Parts: sequence; C-alpha cells; structure tokens
Amino acid sequence: MTAVLAAQGLIKSFGDLIAVNGVSFEIAEGETFGLLGPNGAGKTTSISMVAGLLEPDNGTVHVAGTQIRTNSTNGRSDIGLVPQEIAIYPDLTATENLRFFGRLYDMPGETLDKRVEEVLEVIGLSERQDDLVSEFSGGMQRRLNIGIGLLHRPRLLILDEPTVGVDPQSRNAILESVEDLSGEGIAVLYTTHYMEEAERLCDRVAIIDEGVIKAEGTRRELVSLVGEKDRIRVTVTGDLVEVARVASELPAVHEASPADSGVDVLANDASSVLPELLSRVAATGANVTGVAVSEPNLEAVFLHLTGKALRD
Amino acid sequence: MGAATRIAGKDLKLRVRDRSAFIMGIVTPLALAYIFHLVFGGTFSEEALDLQVGLVDLDDTQVSQSLGEALSGLEAEGVLVLTDFDDTASAEASVEDGEIGAYILLNQGLGAAAIQGQPFTIEVVGDVDSQTTTQVTSSIASEFGSAIERSQLSVTTAIALGQPPPPDELAIWGEEAALRPPAFTFVDVSADTRQLDANTFFAAGMAVFFLFFTVQFGVVGILEEKQGGTLARLLAAPISHTSVVAGKAILSFALGLISMTVLIVATHYLMDAEWGPPLGVALLVVAGVLAATSIMGVIAATATSADGAANLGAIIAVILGMLGGTFFPIGQGNDFLARLSYLTPHAWFMRGLANISGGAEWTEVLPAVGALLLFTLVFGTVAWVLLQRKLTR
Ligand SMILES: Nc1ncnc2c1ncn2[C@@H]1O[C@H](COP(=O)(O)OP(=O)(O)O)[C@@H](O)[C@H]1O
Ligand SMILES: [Mg+2]
Repeated sequence: MTAVLAAQGLIKSFGDLIAVNGVSFEIAEGETFGLLGPNGAGKTTSISMVAGLLEPDNGTVHVAGTQIRTNSTNGRSDIGLVPQEIAIYPDLTATENLRFFGRLYDMPGETLDKRVEEVLEVIGLSERQDDLVSEFSGGMQRRLNIGIGLLHRPRLLILDEPTVGVDPQSRNAILESVEDLSGEGIAVLYTTHYMEEAERLCDRVAIIDEGVIKAEGTRRELVSLVGEKDRIRVTVTGDLVEVARVASELPAVHEASPADSGVDVLANDASSVLPELLSRVAATGANVTGVAVSEPNLEAVFLHLTGKALRD
Repeated sequence: MGAATRIAGKDLKLRVRDRSAFIMGIVTPLALAYIFHLVFGGTFSEEALDLQVGLVDLDDTQVSQSLGEALSGLEAEGVLVLTDFDDTASAEASVEDGEIGAYILLNQGLGAAAIQGQPFTIEVVGDVDSQTTTQVTSSIASEFGSAIERSQLSVTTAIALGQPPPPDELAIWGEEAALRPPAFTFVDVSADTRQLDANTFFAAGMAVFFLFFTVQFGVVGILEEKQGGTLARLLAAPISHTSVVAGKAILSFALGLISMTVLIVATHYLMDAEWGPPLGVALLVVAGVLAATSIMGVIAATATSADGAANLGAIIAVILGMLGGTFFPIGQGNDFLARLSYLTPHAWFMRGLANISGGAEWTEVLPAVGALLLFTLVFGTVAWVLLQRKLTR
C-alpha cells in the first residue's frame, strides 16, 4: 500500500501558542484515518496545513508524492476539502455551488455536468438541485458541503468535523456516505470529537490533544495499548460465587466477580471467550438469562491518555 | 486569469440576486441627482446662464459705444442678455420690475474724459435680489473702466517722453485703447475656472459619490468569503492567491463601470446632463473607477469584518465626497479648501469633467485622468499587497 498522504513533523504556532507540535501520520489508499480530539486540540490547524491553506512552521506534507505548499497549486487537485464551517454560497443553488467549485478545478464542461449529477445523487439533493442553498436545512447544507469536496474526485478527502450541529438522521446519512468512500479507494482524513464516529468510520485513529498525537492505531490497538478490557455481564440465577470461580479459571479471562443478579467478567477479547465461558457457566447448573458485552471505547483510551474527558 | 474571472462572474451573479449593489450603484444616485435637478436645477441655471443686463449710454461716443459692442459680444456667446435703454428712468423701472438684474450707466462726457485723461465714473445699478447679475455687471464695468485708464496711461507716458503726439492722433490713441476688448475673465474661460452646469454637476456628483459605495461590493467580497468559510475552499483549489484578489478587483471595476455607464446615459436623457466628449468621459470614468476600487481595496484590507469595511468605507466615502465637492462646488472663495479638495479623487473627477464640458477637446481631461491613475497606483499597490496577505491570516 502506498501512502496517499504523508504528513511529517508538522509544527504550527500562533504567537506563544503552539497549536500543533510535531504531528506526523500517513494515510493509504482506501483507508479512513481519524483525528480524534477535543475542541482546540489542533485538528483544524493540522488539516489546514495538509490542505495547503496554512504554511507549517516546520514539517512537510506530501499528497500522492507531491509536496503541498501554500504558495503553489501543485498537488491541490488531488485534495478535496470539506471545511468545518459550512463553506457554500447561500444565494446560489446547489447546482451552481457545485459547478462554480468544479470549474475552479478545471473540470471540462461535459465531465462536470455528469459529475454534478452524480454527486447530487450521492448526497441526496437531486430533487432540490435548483433551489437556493439558503432554503436548505442545516443537514442538507452539510451534505452539499461534503459533495463539493468530493466533486473533482480527489484521492484524499479531508472532512473536518462534518457532523457538528446536524440532526441524527442527516448525521447517519453523512456517516454512511463516508463509509462508502473507502470502498472507492479514496483516502479519507476525518476529524471529530465524537468517539462513536471515529470508532464507526475509521480504520485507524490518532488521538490528538494540545497539538500532540498521544497514540495512534486501530481501535483495538489503542484499547490494548492502555490495558483496557472488554466487560461481560452474565446475568444468571444460581450460585454466583461458583459461576465466578469457574469463569476465572478460563485463561482468557482476566477477572470475574459476582455482582447483583449476575457475574462481571473482564477479558481481553469478549467475542473469542464468550462461547467457552457460557458453556462452562451452564455446566455449573446455573441458568443464564442474559449476556451483555461492553467493549472499552476510545473515550476510555482518551481519558487514560490525557486524564480528561473528550467532551467538556 | 481564468479563475479570477470565474470568481468575479460568480460574485456578479450573487450581487445581482442580492440587489443591494443595484440600489447603491444606480437607483440611489439617480434618484438623488434627479431630486437635486428638480429642486435646484432651475434656479442654478438661470443665475448662471440668463444674466439680464441693461445699458444706458448717455455719452454715445466711440468710447462708450465700445462697451455696448463688448456686451453684445457676450450676449452672442450666451453669457448674458442685453437690453439698451434710452434713459435712466426706464432702466430703473426695468430693475424694479425684475426684468433686468442690473444696468450700467455711462454718463455724458465719458468719451471726452477718457481721451483727455480726466477722471470719469461708470455707474452700476443692481437689484438686491440679483446679486450674481449685479456682481458680474460690476466686474464688466470695472474692466471697462481699467481699460480706459490703461489707455490714458499710455497717452500720459507718451507725453512724458517729451514727444507730445498731435491732438487728433492723441484722440485716436485713446479711442483705440478703449476699444480693445476688455479682458473679461469669463469671455475666455481658462480650464481652471470652468464650471459644470447644474444638471451635469448633480449627475456627476452623485455618480462619483456613490461609485465609492458601489465598488465596495467587489473588494469587500474577500471578507465575506472569509467569514462565510468559502475562502478556505478557494485557497484549497488549484488556483493562485492572486486570482482570488484579482477576481474581487475585477468585480469592483465591473460594478463601477456598469453603474457609471447607466448613470451617464440615464442622466443625459432624464435631466439633460451634458457629460462631454465620449472619449474624454470614458477615460475619466475608467480612471475614476480604478481609483475608487483601489481606495476601497485598502479599506477592505484593513477592516476585520465585512460590516466593519462597509462602515469604514461609508465614512471615508462621505468625507472624500464632501471634501471633493460632489454635493456642492467646493473652494469658491476658500483657497485652502480648494487645494485640500485635490487630495480626493472626487475633486479630480469633477474637475476633469468640467474641463471637457461645454464642447472642449477630450484631451483636456488628461491631467485629471493622470491624477486619478496616480491614486490608483498608490492605493492599488497597497491594497494588492495587503489583500493578498489577508487571505492567509
Ligand atoms: N488563526 C489562529 N490564530 C490564533 N490561534 C489559533 C488560530 N487558529 C487556531 N488557533 C488556536 O490553536 C489551537 C488549535 O485550534 P484548532 O486547530 O482550531 O483546534 P480544533 O480544530 O482541534 O478544535 C486553539 O487553541 C486555537 O485557539
Ligand atoms: Mg476544528
């Protein structure tokens, strides 16, 4: 796999504030990479440097092998940017917005017409394509905001908190369309402060706080990194102490203890231990009435790494 | 430049939909110019063009008749309307009836006194309600008086040189001197003092005053893109930073040009504004729009928000407009203000227009065009640099 994006040692200060302090990461074709961090962590500053909007004090950005600079247009056609703020013209229609930005990418007339139609389809705005954007709901505007970033078929799509302030339905539509992108081989850089979004969408996640990437990897890598375990709550009637003893004998089980109306089991990987665990419990003669698995999430990882909650 | 014109085209579409540029650039100046034309247009032009002057020549010599001829010449040029009276009483009555604003009385013996180097008087009687006419008439009379005095002086000089000319020749000298056309300042109006007629003044004044508001709709667009977040998209696209600034400047220029053209044509047909030779007017308008765009570009570059730029721009536009004499002719009788006014593009625009109004050659506009281009060079350079910098911070 070749890296579509390679960001190396990015540093950016605003006066005394070091907003981004040595951020590096790579994204491969078809991969969705998440930058997860609270407000003010340096996500927007990082991607502004990646998109060539902001000159880094130090460090380099290469997209498909081309270095991105603020004062050069080289490599920019490979990047699609979906800014955090909705960046569209309210007094133009959806089609006019798409066509205007498409022309800035020198898309020839016929290709552009076809692509505009396609994108309108993807973002579900075909019916409203000739309405002024100012008449759109917030969710529709968000979708158009994303559509413009996709229009010129970039190899790298950067989405900066694209679901902020969106109703649940539109949010789901947005997440689904992002999920589809990796299938098309697009490298996606997705920033968010929503842990669930990072978990759902991203193949790899970097946890960023105060301008520094604290940890990076798949969800499971991050979770194991901090030693967090899956929690299995088995609801049983019978001898709880005996059930707990049997469970803790399993090698994959870290700890098992009786709790109200059941037993709590901590294990490294719930799904692999569950069949064995349940058959052992059944063998004690206890009657299992329910099983609930809670995997440690990135929220817990973030808390562990930074000592603070993701959302204040 | 493809990207710049695309940005300008997109903005033009937005401005057309928004309509505020249309209101600022065309409706408001046209309405105001028309109102001024209705309220002041009549009185202005009567005062300026229809000076009703009477002449009572009781002397009836060659010397006194020369004034009558000079006044007839002015009448032929349309500067005044001359009425001859046989006696003082009828002239007096005509002033009282308001038929004439003032008259000149040449008493018997003027011609003889002029030739013999004796003291003489020329009387001007005017209506208090016709101050302008009275003033103009007085200055004509005193010019005539000094012409006679100059001729007396040359006679006296000749005598002093010890070669007294023969008396009949002396008489001829005196007469010839008196007959020389008096150097009335408004007979051969120099470019510096040419004035626009009232209708053209109001039309041009309002047009150039509102031009500064109109061009703002272009350059302020940079701040709007920034606030609206779309600037990030423009900067992320494979287009140069200069084309973003150029796009806004092109729109400013286009809006200014459109509004000026519409106003020139509309005021010409609606209120008889005479803008002058088309080539001269075109040069002046292009230079004026460029200067306005540059100055408003500097304001957009120094403001922190689109509203801030609009407010600051309005203040600057009003100050420059007032000082530049777009509402009322500035500096008459006040040299300091007059000189100060040339620090504004407005004054140069109005002056350039005055220079080519009334059938002068279009080349008379060139000094004003040069001055406006100097404004463009200075402010345009500053705006260009500052606006580029504004993009990335
Ligand atoms: N243009 C700027 N000038 C000064 N400070 C800035 C600027 N942009 C961002 N910052 C500061 O840098 C830090 C990181 O901001 P940002 O990258 O926007 O964070 P995030 O996108 O993760 O919320 C914040 O403290 C923010 O206030
Ligand atoms: Mg941000």
